[in-house]
Amino acid sequence: MNCVDLQASLAETEDVSRVGQNSAQRAHLKSCPECSALVAELNLIASSAIELRAANEPSPRVWNSIEIALRQEGLIRPQRTGRSLLPSLGSRWAFARWALPVAAAVLITVGVYIRQTSLPVQLARNDAPAVAVSSEVSDAAIAGLNDEDLLQEAAKQSPAMQAQYTDNLRRVNQYIQDAKGVVAADPNDEDARRSLLEAYQEKAMLFELAMDRSLP
Amino acid sequence: MSGRTIELVVVGAVLAGTLSVGTLSAETHKDYRFNVGPKAGVSVNNPFGSVSVKPAPGNVVVISAVLYSDKVEVDNNLVGNRVEIQSHLLPGGDPQSGRVDYEILVPADASVTLHSSTGSLHAEKLHGDVTLEGASATVDVHDISNAHVHVKTLNGPVTITNVQDGHVEVDSLSGDVTLTSVTGPLVQVISTSGGINYIGDFGDRGEYRLTSHSGNIEATVPGSTSADVSARSVRGEVHDDIPLQPKTHTWFPITQGSAFWGTMGQTTMSSTVVLRSFSGKIHLRKRTSK
Repeated sequence: MNCVDLQASLAETEDVSRVGQNSAQRAHLKSCPECSALVAELNLIASSAIELRAANEPSPRVWNSIEIALRQEGLIRPQRTGRSLLPSLGSRWAFARWALPVAAAVLITVGVYIRQTSLPVQLARNDAPAVAVSSEVSDAAIAGLNDEDLLQEAAKQSPAMQAQYTDNLRRVNQYIQDAKGVVAADPNDEDARRSLLEAYQEKAMLFELAMDRSLP
Repeated sequence: MSGRTIELVVVGAVLAGTLSVGTLSAETHKDYRFNVGPKAGVSVNNPFGSVSVKPAPGNVVVISAVLYSDKVEVDNNLVGNRVEIQSHLLPGGDPQSGRVDYEILVPADASVTLHSSTGSLHAEKLHGDVTLEGASATVDVHDISNAHVHVKTLNGPVTITNVQDGHVEVDSLSGDVTLTSVTGPLVQVISTSGGINYIGDFGDRGEYRLTSHSGNIEATVPGSTSADVSARSVRGEVHDDIPLQPKTHTWFPITQGSAFWGTMGQTTMSSTVVLRSFSGKIHLRKRTSK
């Protein structure tokens, strides 16, 4: 192997650190200080590049600036505002798409409950703010389902029932608020936590009934 | 009576007769029969109308359906050992014209799942699992043994009677729930605003949990009952007509009038009874002998 052959093989090598493992390359590098220096230099550049990539990740501000510039140049167009990221409730199978967020909300609630009950009692008092924060997260997830949309869907499926759904939704939201109040007053109260879980179960059931799986 | 009046009465009678004949003729009876194996499954989805399930000898499922118009049809299917029935509303169907009433006979060991929005749901004398769901459906279950009984309703009243060795779970948002002679390893009722009424002896070694946010809870038990009973209402009142042996160690404060916790009868045979409410009243009564 000569210098031309070695440099040609370098062009085809993805990992520079592997250069020299081949016996022909190794023999040439031993006899050729120029090629040996070239390979050493390439190895240094490759290893430094990895470190640079990790250390100098551009900040979000840089990406924002790039995005603004691209928008000004018309290369990025704003998304249509009429299309919501949330699934529509208008179509026949719309509620099927709500099943996942509902399940997620319930799972979050159950997860919060299980996590809290698994903590040692002596830590529970210290974790009181965490309970409150977790509950807020769960509420936000459930609120994301949009009570109003649910009532509209219930009214569409069964207009005579709309008043009852409205009334029950108000009551179950009150149940959740009351249960949260008791948990906040005494985070060690196992019973109150269970009541909160049950209140969420009731709300989940309200959504489930509103979906009314028996309807064609 | 003048001739004109007589004429009007006759015309009215003819019209009424025509209308009633028209209504009656819109009703259609349909029967379906399926041969099934042991422990078959039967599932009925009926948006508008009642469903009643009773046991019958043999491994056969017999369905008798009354359709109230031609705006609805009955889809039926046997998948493996499971019978599936769906009332299928056709274009133009509504709660009146889409109504179907079912009378169903099943093997006593069949598992039954019934769903209706507005009709009544009824199951009796079975020892397979029973699941009933409905928004405003009236639910009536009785004479069930060694089975799970799961009920979910929005505001329909729930009546469960004579369930032995049951795993009973009832969720109701605002419907009243009445349990009479219901015992088993787990009996649980959760309600948001409906009242809960338990009449029975709480069996032995079971867990009974009755919870309502704003509904009243009333448990009426015989003097021979053995149970460890805790009751607690956050803002409501708690009444206890039965002398309990108070617990010496409790993990929530026992405030007179809003909570109690104690044991009645034989502690070795006692069930655990938990009665909880936020603003409802809780009352533990002793059943008077008849």
